[in-house]
Order: sequence, then structure tokens, then C-alpha cells
Amino acid sequence: MRASLFITCYNDTLYPETGRAVVRLLERLGVELEFRAAQTCCGQMHANTGFRAEAFSQAKRLVRLYSDAEAVVIPSSSCVCMMRDQYPGLFEELGNESLRRDFAALLPRVYELTEFLIDQLKVEDVGAYFPHRVAYHPSCHALRGLHIGDRPVRLLKKVRGLELAPIENVDRCCGFGGTFSVKNFEVSSAMLGAKVHDLLSTKADYCTAVDNSCLMHIGGALHRQYAGMRTIHIAQILAATEGAAAEEAA
Amino acid sequence: MSQAVAGHPILDPVLAPTFPKAALPILRNAQLRKNVTHATDVIQAKRAKLVAEKTDWQELRSAAAEIRAHALENLGEYLEQFEARCTAAGGTVHWASDAAEARQIIVDLLREEKASEVIKIKTMTSAEIQLNPAIEAAGIHAYETDLAEIILQLGEDEPSHIVVPALHVNRSQVREIFARRMGIKDLSDDPQVLTGAARNYLRQKFLKVPTAISGANFLVAETGAVAVVESEGNGRMCLTLPRTMITLAGIDKVIPRFKDLEVMLQVLARSATGERMNPYTSLWTGVTPGDGPQRFHVVLLDNGRTSILAKPKERQTLRCIRCAACLNTCPVYRQTGGHAYGSVYAGPIGAILTPQLMHLEHAQTLPFASSLCAACYEVCPVKINIPEVLLELRAQVVDQERKQADRFLDLMYWGLRIANQIFVSAWRFRTAQWAGRIGLRFFTGKDGWIHWMPSLGARWTVSRDLRGLPSQTFRQWWAARAKEAK
Amino acid sequence: MTAASTSRTQILDRIRSATKILPQSACAYADLPRSYVRKGAQSHLAQVELMIERLREYDADVIECKAQDLPATIAAQLASSGRHTFVAPEGLPAEWMAAGYDWKIDHGMENAEVELTEGVVTAAFAGVADSGTIVLHHSSSEGRRVISLLPDWHLCILRASQVVETLPEYFDLCKQAPDLATYISGPSATADIEMTRIKGVHGPRFLNVIVVRDDS
Repeated sequence: MRASLFITCYNDTLYPETGRAVVRLLERLGVELEFRAAQTCCGQMHANTGFRAEAFSQAKRLVRLYSDAEAVVIPSSSCVCMMRDQYPGLFEELGNESLRRDFAALLPRVYELTEFLIDQLKVEDVGAYFPHRVAYHPSCHALRGLHIGDRPVRLLKKVRGLELAPIENVDRCCGFGGTFSVKNFEVSSAMLGAKVHDLLSTKADYCTAVDNSCLMHIGGALHRQYAGMRTIHIAQILAATEGAAAEEAA
Repeated sequence: MSQAVAGHPILDPVLAPTFPKAALPILRNAQLRKNVTHATDVIQAKRAKLVAEKTDWQELRSAAAEIRAHALENLGEYLEQFEARCTAAGGTVHWASDAAEARQIIVDLLREEKASEVIKIKTMTSAEIQLNPAIEAAGIHAYETDLAEIILQLGEDEPSHIVVPALHVNRSQVREIFARRMGIKDLSDDPQVLTGAARNYLRQKFLKVPTAISGANFLVAETGAVAVVESEGNGRMCLTLPRTMITLAGIDKVIPRFKDLEVMLQVLARSATGERMNPYTSLWTGVTPGDGPQRFHVVLLDNGRTSILAKPKERQTLRCIRCAACLNTCPVYRQTGGHAYGSVYAGPIGAILTPQLMHLEHAQTLPFASSLCAACYEVCPVKINIPEVLLELRAQVVDQERKQADRFLDLMYWGLRIANQIFVSAWRFRTAQWAGRIGLRFFTGKDGWIHWMPSLGARWTVSRDLRGLPSQTFRQWWAARAKEAK
Repeated sequence: MTAASTSRTQILDRIRSATKILPQSACAYADLPRSYVRKGAQSHLAQVELMIERLREYDADVIECKAQDLPATIAAQLASSGRHTFVAPEGLPAEWMAAGYDWKIDHGMENAEVELTEGVVTAAFAGVADSGTIVLHHSSSEGRRVISLLPDWHLCILRASQVVETLPEYFDLCKQAPDLATYISGPSATADIEMTRIKGVHGPRFLNVIVVRDDS
């Protein structure tokens, strides 16, 4: 199977190790990956902040870029959610017929990473080894946007050595919300405080998620508080094997 | 007391501070936050339990959503039908375009009754139009009769929740308010005792005050009936004992038929208070000879609702049945409580309803008071896609900003405009990645993390570190790998 | 035109133009989705048991009796209430009014007179087991609204044959919509102070139900 990797703007810039893990994981599972260097951003930040015209220009660019891709894999549920939930409205309002047609043809081939693994590759056991206690934080976009359900948990349960730690109030938002975390930084910080409290109660070594955006938020607080718990994208856990430990930055 | 720290909450969207500003003192009020967390936890747990036992919950939600959507699409016919049936049954129907007209109609009716006092059932619509100050200005004293509303009225406080308006006040605060305002010495803070005090305080008012004001949960077009749901019985008192009853209802409250209550009542009680059914539901149709008030008025209020009706994405806002399930589940509301929203309508529904009622001339920060986590949409019994409406309103606020001369003073505004210029070109994006790495190096500590950034960045680093930018982006790694392979 | 009629016209005009602009997307009334549970799945016996269980959850005092034992059961309930003055709706069966008490028959009593009574005995229109709801349509045996409101003690006679399982089943029972209706699901209560449920705010603090087993 061939797939095109849309790494997303912030993973590209801030979390390249997540991208490398996706490559390692998917190639191990026999996927032939390509990376289109023209990619930038899906437009979510602009759309969610009310800059609709700007979001449209980025969205249009993305659809054109991937229109001939066999499958597009994205290790970020919120970006997939942006495409599924917001592109149709943007294109209806600002796009033309040809763009809408291209998008309609592309959309069924766009997958969040764990969707791709479970639904397309039909695999739950990816052969990973990660001997740690891990708390899985279901990001809002994964949970209520994409409804990916227990796909990430099914994958994590098959990871050798991994012990899953349940989180209290597991479905509650960490308070990131993109520009919300800056516009309403005090409220966002208060929400984060509640989430970190629930996370630390798990006594887990790692907090994982399918989105580095939440993990950037949560990890930022954990680091500030010298909490010991670390954050790691699910791709990095799934890519880790007994021969090669998970790649983490310092 | 909460106000001592927070200042008197301002729930007039015209005068209220922005959401972030109003939230700040509340975030520093440990007692208030504890009260809000406790109350929302309790209601949420009760709701979750009762929704789980209902095997047809999703079917009920679909039916409720469609009934409300249908009613709104045919609102004109249903309102006229309601008016005709209510009038035929002896009621009088008034129409009010805005808050001022509604206040005037009600004050005039009270004057006609030569009322010096009036008893009131909790109604959000009355708070929306700021009815009590208008009544007081006319020299008439309004007695709130819902326990929570008594606490707020006597405590000179404001509602912070649609269903449990005093949830931000705890028992010892209630004890203090009641002891002071009712002149009771040796009052304990046992909720049973406090409730008893409220019962005694109001009993004679119920029996003697001849005029009452209510809201409405539903107006039934088919029959002209009004439905009010409640728990305490203060509603039944007000609906039954006085000579004259005035009901203030938004035009959005209409449902097509009596039978539709079989859906609406099931979803409302479970969503609002986590009960299978609220203790008391009352339905009355105009005037019934010999039973209850013999003069009955309904004031149908527009106050911005028709403009919401005219907009495709926003129309769903009007489906709301004021259950407040979205407040209880909202991670933002759970931190800030209701007063931060600067409106009687707090939480996610308030964040979309208030700016629209204000024609987006005020309350523009409310659509941004959400992390878009969509927990509200998930629990909404009439399936209002609140995140969708929030996004729509955000776009409208930004469109306003685009026309403002001082927009470039807003760092966020020009930051996002520039970011867009970067994102539409891979070359510019690569350059920005490079520049960002160089620029942020200056703020990156020895541990490889950023602990402080200037300007807007400081809003991030107020509570969060940021890992320093890695020396190689993913695209650089990919390119290097490809080169190696060759 | 008066100001009032102007507002009416204006509001209706605004509604008409608002609903005209947008394409109709909602269903026609007849097509509204109604796939929720309409008919209860339990046996009638189980429904009555559920009704009783729900009422007890609400702290109502529930007694069961056979049809022929009803007057005696009422008398026993009145006796154990320790009360003396009771109000009765006009149409309350005479045999329900046990001797030895001060019965006030409601031929349109003043509110203040009702307030002086200590209890009330009424019939009911229906019972909804799923939510433990007692339905009053305020017929002559159920009484005017005020008499089941002011007295602090309410004894309600519910026949088992009046019990349905689901709320939609109650709506099916209504051949036509009632002008007045009160749905009672437990005694007056509040949770306004710290979400602590307190029984008895303004409505009757004591709800007593006799379920007459006319079904077995």
C-alpha cells in the first residue's frame, strides 16, 4: 500500500520525532510512504480563530496538493477533523465546483494515523514494545470530532510491556484549544491545571495522545512543574520495538 | 462572600467586561470555584446515570431536535395558532419586539392590577430583559420565589447558571444571607433548615400577593397551553393562587402539539437536573373558571430572536430548551462559573446566544470563550452544534475587526494575517521555520526548553514551558534521508 | 395601528421573511422521527411494581390495597397521619371520606380556607411507571389545583389499571389534551443549596399514594 504523509505544520517544526516514528512504523508495516515538500498547514488555526478567508486559501492549497494521492495519513486528529468538519463549509461558501469535486474525491482517502492502522491496514498488534505505564489522553477532536473510539486503546493494548493507566475525567478537554490557550490564557491554564491533576493521579510514566497539540500543552505544564511524567505521541510508542527504543527528544 | 472578592457581577452584556477580564477574579476565588465544581460534578453524575439507563436516548434526542427545528421553520404559523387558542381560552396575548417593550407591557399590566407587589417564578427571560429593576422603578416590589433566586435576590447577587442559578454560593454563605436579610438569629447552615426558612419567608406572600409573573418552558400551539417545569412547588403556587398571571416567553418556546411534550419532558428533566422527571410540571390553557388566575396574559418576546432565525447556521441556537447540560459539562464553565459570561445566559449556550441577542454589537469575546472541545454538542438534548455556531460567530467578529482602523494594533490579528502569508507558500514556511529556530534560541534555556517568551508568547509561558525548536525539521530529515538512499 | 398591533405585525413579518429566506430543511410534522420507545415492554404487573418502586425512591409513602379494602385503607392512612382537617374535591367518592374527620368539600374554597386544612385526598388521572409520575387532570375527583397544593399532606388514590409504563403511553391515553394538568414526580424538593436534595419546599411535604390493585 502507498500513502502520502501529511505531517502537519507543527509536527514538522516542533515534533519531527513524531514524523520519524510514523515513517518507521508504517514502513515496518510495509507501507510505501511519500512526503510532499510543498505541504504546510491545513488552515485549522485560522478557521478556529475566525479567519475564514485565510483558512480557505490554505485548505484549497492542501486539496490541490493531495488530489492525486492514494491515501493521506495524518498523525493529528484535529487536522483531520478540520478537513472533515470545516472544509465542506469553507468550500461551499468560498470555493468553486471543481474544488468541491476534488475535495469530495479526496476526503474518503484521508486518515488519522490510528484510523489508517486499524481500518486500512487492519492491524492492531504493530509489533511494538514499550515497557512503561502509560495514560492515554483522548483528545477532544479524536473523541468527539472523529469518533475514533477505542482505536488508539486497542493499539496500545497490544504493545508489549505497556501498562495502561486509566485517567479520571478522561474525556475532559486539557484546555489547549489553539489560540484559545493564548486569548484566554488564564482560563486555559486553569483547565490545564485540572487535567494535570487527573494525569498525575494515574502515576503513569507517560501521557500519550494522537495529537501533539494537546501533548505540547500538557507536556508544557508537566515540565514547568518538574512533574516527572513525560508526554509522547502514540506513533512514537507504536514505532518502538525491543531492538529500538522510542525516540524522544531531550 | 463571593462578591467581596469578585466584585458585583455584571450580567448586562452592554456593560460587562470582556470574558477574559471577567474570568480572572473568579479564577482567583477558590471558594467559588469549589462550589461550582461540586455542583456541576453532582448534576453531571446524575445526568450520566439517567441517560445511560434510557435505551432510546439517542432516538429521543433526534426527535427533540427535529421537533424544535420543525417548530422554528414554521414559527409564524405556530405562534398565530398559539395566540388563537390561548385567546379563545380566555388569555390575552401581547407581542414585544424588544426588551423595553416587554418591560413596558408588563409594568402597564401590573399598574392596571394596581399591584404593589408581585411574586415571580424563576424565568431566564425576565432576567434577559432586566425586568425586576423596571418593576421596582414603577414602585412595585418583585419577590423571587425559587429558592436559588431568593438567595440571589437577598444576597444582591446574580445568577450564574440557567437551572441552578445560585450554585456558586455554598451553605454557609446562604446562612449568612438569610440570617442577615430575614433577621433570623441562630440560623444553622443545614440546607434543610435554610430551606425551611425560605418556605416560611414566602408562605404569606404566596397567599396574599394577587399577581404573579412566570416564564414558560413550552408553549403548545395546538392547544394554547403553557407548560412550566419546576421542583419546589413555588411555580405551582404562583400559577395557582394569584388573581392575575403574566407569562413572559420567548417566541422560540413554541412546540407544535401537546403530544410533543412526551419527548420534550423526557429529555429536559434528565438533561437539566438528572431526574427521570422533575417533581412538578404544570400545564394550563388560558383561564379555567374557578381554578387558578382568572386573568391571564402572555407576552411573546422577540428581542433579537427573529434575526437569529434568519441565519442558516445560527438558527439552531433557538432550539435550546435551557436545560444547562452544556454548562455542566463545559470545561470552561467549570473553571469560571457563570458570571464571567457577562449575561444571564452562561456557558456554551450563552457564548452563542448572548452575542446574537446583542446583534454582535456587544459580547464579541464570548464566541472565543471555548476550547471547541464539543462536549456541549455531545450532551445537548436538541443537538445544537454549538462549536459550529461558535466558529460562525468568530468569523463574523473577525470580519468586524477587518474593518477597524486599529486592527493592526492587535498582535493576534496581524500575527494571524502574517501566518497565513507564510502558510500559503512552502518556501516562506521553510524560511519561517528557520527564522523561528534562530529567534527562539535566544529564549531557550540550558535544558532545551523555553520558560519565558515575550509579548503574546508570555501568555503561553504563564503556566507552560515549551520545548525548544529541534535543530532539524521533519522535512529536513526526510530530504536528508532521501539523499542518503540515493 | 396601535403600538401593540404594530409589534405583532412586525414580529410575524420578520419571522416570515426569516423562514422564507432559508430552504426548508426540517421535516414536515408527520415525518418527524419518532423511533423512541413508545410502548413499555414489561408486564402490567411489573409496571405497577416499577411505579411503586419509583414513588418510594421519591420518598412517597406507598400502600397497596385491594379494591374492596380501599375505604378502610384510606381510613387507616388518615388515622396514622395524625391530622384532622381534610379537604376533598367535589367529586371524591363519599365512601373515601372516613367518618370522624373534619371534611371540607371544595365547592370553590378561598385559598386561605384551603391553607387552614391539614391534608387532602384526591384521585388521579394516570400513573407513569418509568418516571414514577402521578398525573392529575384536575377533574372533579382530582380536584382544583389549589387543593393538592396548599395542604401539607396529600393522599392520592391511584388505581393499578391507570398505570402505564412510558410517558408516551400516557399521551396516548389522552383522547384530547387537558386544559389543566399537573405531573407530580415526588414531593416538592430542591437541590439549590450545594445540590443537597431537600424535601418539601413549597408544595406538600408529604405525598402518600394508595395503589389500588384492581388489576389482579
